[in-house]
Amino acid sequence: MTTATDIWVLGDYRNYFQSRVTLQILARATHLAASTGGKVCAVVFGHGMDEYVGEYIAHGAEKVYVVDDPALKTYAVETYSFLMTRLVEKFKPATLLVGATRFGQEIAPRVAKQLKTGLTADCIDLEIDPKGRLVQIAPSFGGNLIARIITPHKRPQMATIRPGTFQELVHDGTAKGQIIRLALPTDMPTEKIRCISSEYKPSKAKGIEKADIVITGGRGMGSKGKFKKLFELAALMNGEVGATRPVVYANWIGHDALVGQAGKAIKPKILFAFGISGAIQHTAAIADADFIVAINKNPNATMMRMADVAIVADANQVCSGIIRAIKENIRD
Amino acid sequence: MKMFKILVCIKQVPMVSELPWDSKTGTLKRELAQGMMDPSSRRALEAGLQIKETRAELGEKTQIIVLSMGPPMAMEILYQAKSLGADKGILLSDRAMAGADTFLTSFILARFIKKEVPDVDLVLCGSQTSDSETGQVGPQLAEELSIPAIGYAADIQLQGQMVRVHRHVDDFFEVLEMDLPGLVTIDQAAYTPRYAAFGGVQDAFETADIIQVDARRLGLDENFNAVKDSPTRIVDVYSPTTRKENRVLKGTAKAVVDQLFEDYGKIISSAMGKDLKGQGEKI
Amino acid sequence: MEFNPCVKHQLIRKIAREFSENEIKPQVAELDRDARFPHDIIEKMKPLNFFGLQAPKHLGGAGLDSISYAIVVEEVSRVSAALGLCVTVHNSVGIYPILKFGTQEQIERFVPAMAAGDSIGAFCLTEANAGSDAGGVETTARKVQDGYVIDGTKIFVTNGGVAGTILVFAVTEDEKKSANVFIVEDDRPGFSVGEIEDLCGMRANPVSSLFFEDCRVPDENLLGKSGQGLKIGLTGLDTGRIGIAAQALGIAQAAFEDSVAYAKERQQFNQPISRFQTIQNYLADMATQIDAARLLVYRAADYKDRNLPFSAQASMAKLYCSDTARKVTDMAVQIHGGYGYSKEYDVERYFRDAKVTQIYEGTSEVQRMVIARNILTQPS
Repeated sequence: MTTATDIWVLGDYRNYFQSRVTLQILARATHLAASTGGKVCAVVFGHGMDEYVGEYIAHGAEKVYVVDDPALKTYAVETYSFLMTRLVEKFKPATLLVGATRFGQEIAPRVAKQLKTGLTADCIDLEIDPKGRLVQIAPSFGGNLIARIITPHKRPQMATIRPGTFQELVHDGTAKGQIIRLALPTDMPTEKIRCISSEYKPSKAKGIEKADIVITGGRGMGSKGKFKKLFELAALMNGEVGATRPVVYANWIGHDALVGQAGKAIKPKILFAFGISGAIQHTAAIADADFIVAINKNPNATMMRMADVAIVADANQVCSGIIRAIKENIRD
Repeated sequence: MKMFKILVCIKQVPMVSELPWDSKTGTLKRELAQGMMDPSSRRALEAGLQIKETRAELGEKTQIIVLSMGPPMAMEILYQAKSLGADKGILLSDRAMAGADTFLTSFILARFIKKEVPDVDLVLCGSQTSDSETGQVGPQLAEELSIPAIGYAADIQLQGQMVRVHRHVDDFFEVLEMDLPGLVTIDQAAYTPRYAAFGGVQDAFETADIIQVDARRLGLDENFNAVKDSPTRIVDVYSPTTRKENRVLKGTAKAVVDQLFEDYGKIISSAMGKDLKGQGEKI
Repeated sequence: MEFNPCVKHQLIRKIAREFSENEIKPQVAELDRDARFPHDIIEKMKPLNFFGLQAPKHLGGAGLDSISYAIVVEEVSRVSAALGLCVTVHNSVGIYPILKFGTQEQIERFVPAMAAGDSIGAFCLTEANAGSDAGGVETTARKVQDGYVIDGTKIFVTNGGVAGTILVFAVTEDEKKSANVFIVEDDRPGFSVGEIEDLCGMRANPVSSLFFEDCRVPDENLLGKSGQGLKIGLTGLDTGRIGIAAQALGIAQAAFEDSVAYAKERQQFNQPISRFQTIQNYLADMATQIDAARLLVYRAADYKDRNLPFSAQASMAKLYCSDTARKVTDMAVQIHGGYGYSKEYDVERYFRDAKVTQIYEGTSEVQRMVIARNILTQPS
């Protein structure tokens, strides 16, 4: 069988503008294929996706399987997973990778079930073991545990991949890839879900989840009045304000700002955490921050231990200090 | 009048705030962890309870069955579900089922449903449990039951033998319709769960309709072994290492702020997208 | 003999804890500082049966056993002793005497609103010249046609500022001078509420004086039979003591948990202070005393549910739990050092809250009297 080593990536063009997860996975697949052999292939379903097909080739896909049909214009989970399964059965790739967007997380489990194979969710890394098997590395308990998982006997080996995990390859406009166009099978199932409306509304405002700078505060800020200082700092820094659960419940700030298990997960370039001790429900949601500055009187608070820079001082005074320093030194 | 049957899948997970760690091996001593009902399962149950209440106002009857799989101690969450208003609870529990991955878990759940609740109208699941966080059991269960499924529902309206679901997935706001029987998973921000009233707890223990079902009663093969039969296998589990540089700054507020900008001014100004003067110097 | 909690008790604890942590804890420091009673939290507690824990279901209660009741009080008090106080007083000396001694008509008239939490209960015995000695009560009830006229001033009434159904201990002005308990609704003319006391602890509870001036109540508001006052008072107090014991236990538990966490975090001489034997000894003593205290509470509650005499058991539980709360909160402040003396940490509040558990619902000295009397009247 010529294709038994191929690595497939499901083309998630639906989320193309928000999450470049397909391109990121293609990059990793290229790296993996270097040790397993086989081709890196993208698979897309829909109608009028030629520009994405070109993008996939420019980002590492050697082959792209395309099913382009007006009947596929609207995304429908049953139709899409049926097609995916059909193609896998026909071409038998060794591995099938899917971006862990809502779209991918909805389709992948259905496909895995239809193919009677395993599936690992939301991987943050992929490796190849000495036996050439895919090692799927996935977090659980909000990132507090990491599991390494294999699919020893079933094929394809399937995993969904957390967006932002891998770096996409540099766009190569000269790359050549084979495009394989397939007709819609004649035995398509009737879709049992009717789409009444589907509106694409990319969120303009960055919001705390997408902000580059997030300033979070905990009870260590002292009071509602003192907590307000964080807004001033956020405005100066072009950042957003987040908070821990006790602070939100004390109505120092609205529920929208809650960072944690019951709220939002953030991944800013820099996070300033003021007066936060670091309950696990909170720390799980900030684990993806690139750089953490924590300010707390208690040097042994969990938050301080997980910080890149841990400032042992009064959160309030340091907040005022940073505000002053920026005001005095900002260059517009 | 036909009884409308809602089956809610719930799971007991370790209480995250009380994870007992073995600091030497960096693993979780799961047997010591206190259990609780998975937060997303609670939302699924809440959705079921609200549908039941809406129907009750119209004089229509609804039965809520909660189904779980886990060790015997997971009985607690079935009582909790009953306290909240579920009518009946089933715990699938057997050593042979321990260690099932999502593929096998959905297989086992489906086996029970097909056998005991073949006339179920609506299956509800959380969108992602707080322990393994896969979000895969719901869709795979639908596949096993050969029924359609909609994920991440923010709102469910029941209209006869059909549901209309609002959802916000990725950057799409969608309204979908699905004929029943079908499965819906509930978004993690939807259907804020209620607290059980103590009277409900008392009732749950007075009129227990909660049973445990083992592998044999499910008609599973005597050689069935969830660990062996799962298509995925866990090679190892570890706790991630903490950040390498854990620089500690101490001193007066002014001194630490100066130090912060001196050593990390570049990182701060690049994240801000603005230049700070005297970068690299004391400011 | 069973030492593991059953599934029901375990679940009740989890629900009470989750509610307290999520809904009460975020406000607790502020409530203490401002001496404010949180009506918003009370509204959330009402539908969950916090105010009808043991009232029968047909009257809107939860119909729980006494151990469950003690667990709920412990868990609320673990987060807010002041709210735990509100719950326990309302359920024990508010509702319980009406259920136990009230006529069918009284039970149906008063209990549903109380069990729903719409009418908070209070029990007033203490006066300027009467505390432990109930014989010193000067509040009088004068018999008139169809009722009684109550005159007097009660002090340090728990829940006083918000109470809707008040059990008043008064002496009837007849030859027998018998003690009686009257149920007074807060809208009776002649009833008024004094200033909220500025107390050392339990600051979120509206403890106040209550005034009765020519306050007229109908005959139907005399609880039980005429002359039963002392018996009602003592039975109410026995039940109340289980609740106060559970409350003290909750305070001790909170102080202990904070101390363990702090001892693991706080570094001195380049190591966590939990490595020092002195600190370990403190923690070991705290844990042992709390465990012993908890078993005493459950035993008293179990005796009550099995209709055994539980007066001595309740007094032992109350005495030991309140002493434990005092000792444990003291050690907790000591472990926290300077921070323990600061309002930045919760232990100073536990320390203030704990003291009064040795005073109200019968002082520690009175508990010893009760226990000793029980011992000495036993046939040998």
